[in-house]
Amino acid sequence: MAGRSQHPGQIMENQTRYDLNAAIESWRQELAGQAGLTAEVRRELETHLRDAIAGFQQRGLNDEESFWFARRRVGQPQLLGEEFVKADPSQVWRERVFWMVLACLIVSLWTNIVSCIPLHNWTSGFFGLLSAYAYVLLIYLPVIGLAIFLAKGQLNKRYYALAAIFQSRWRLATSAIVFIVVTHGSQAVMQYRYLIQTDHGRMAHTLDGFWVNVFSYMSWPLMLVVLATWLMPRQNRKTPKRA
Amino acid sequence: MYKTAMLTKDLVAASSKPLLLSILAGGESYGYEIIQKVRELSGGQIEWSDGMLYPVLHRLERDGLIDSEWKEADTGRQRKYYFISSDGRKVLKTERQQWLAVHNTLGKLWKIKPVTI
Repeated sequence: MAGRSQHPGQIMENQTRYDLNAAIESWRQELAGQAGLTAEVRRELETHLRDAIAGFQQRGLNDEESFWFARRRVGQPQLLGEEFVKADPSQVWRERVFWMVLACLIVSLWTNIVSCIPLHNWTSGFFGLLSAYAYVLLIYLPVIGLAIFLAKGQLNKRYYALAAIFQSRWRLATSAIVFIVVTHGSQAVMQYRYLIQTDHGRMAHTLDGFWVNVFSYMSWPLMLVVLATWLMPRQNRKTPKRA
Repeated sequence: MYKTAMLTKDLVAASSKPLLLSILAGGESYGYEIIQKVRELSGGQIEWSDGMLYPVLHRLERDGLIDSEWKEADTGRQRKYYFISSDGRKVLKTERQQWLAVHNTLGKLWKIKPVTI
């Protein structure tokens, strides 16, 4: 083994210093940088890497050596990415579009929540300007958050943190619809109160317009839910039939 | 001359489908186990690159020949298990006939006892 220290004291020192989990995390981030590798493929490759590490450890190799050989066995992340793109280019785009749709949905729902916050009470002067900036910043907060997670390679971790929602298409659709109904419902209640206050005796006509507005507001996020559910990566979304 | 009888890249690629289907016809399995099995059965002559196995498995799955399911392994970790589908069994039967036809033809030329299906 090239570059391996032969001194027992040094080997022990290396073993105590070597952080296997950190090495796997760094490798995982390298994989996350490959466009051709979907979240599910990365998960599968990580399982393989861990199995290979365990295999080498059983043969008496230390953590560092086991990781080094297992990593080599699995292959270079760039080559793996290229192979997967060659094998199924449509799958890569499907997952990309899924994330785009999901990001649009989050931004759309977030904008709706932010619009309920009475930031615009200060309409002029310095505080007016400040509240306008704060409002814009709040609207773009999920986009900024997504960009930070992507840059740090932590998007996968966040994805697993919400694993329960992504376990099936049905769960994703239900969670999103509940969220839409709650956020839009609360906005509708606020709007309703405002209309009651400013109605001037035209209640029936105003309410017609009110309901049309509520449903039209909901149509865009609902359409995104349908799209996201359809494009959702295959992971765990079905019970396969055995031959 | 070749010192070791390692298979050529083309032959490895061509044999991957019947090999995978045959292994999975024997029962469900996962990537790492499949690689180990092929290495063991071939006595190290068929050396698959670990990571390159997955595009092939995914292609077979897309073609409906195999299916997969994430399950918890004995270690507590989640693993993706693959198993053969009914279409896969039909394709394996055809593959078997074709490979045996090649084997028997070469066997006649090299005077090796033919194999029947």
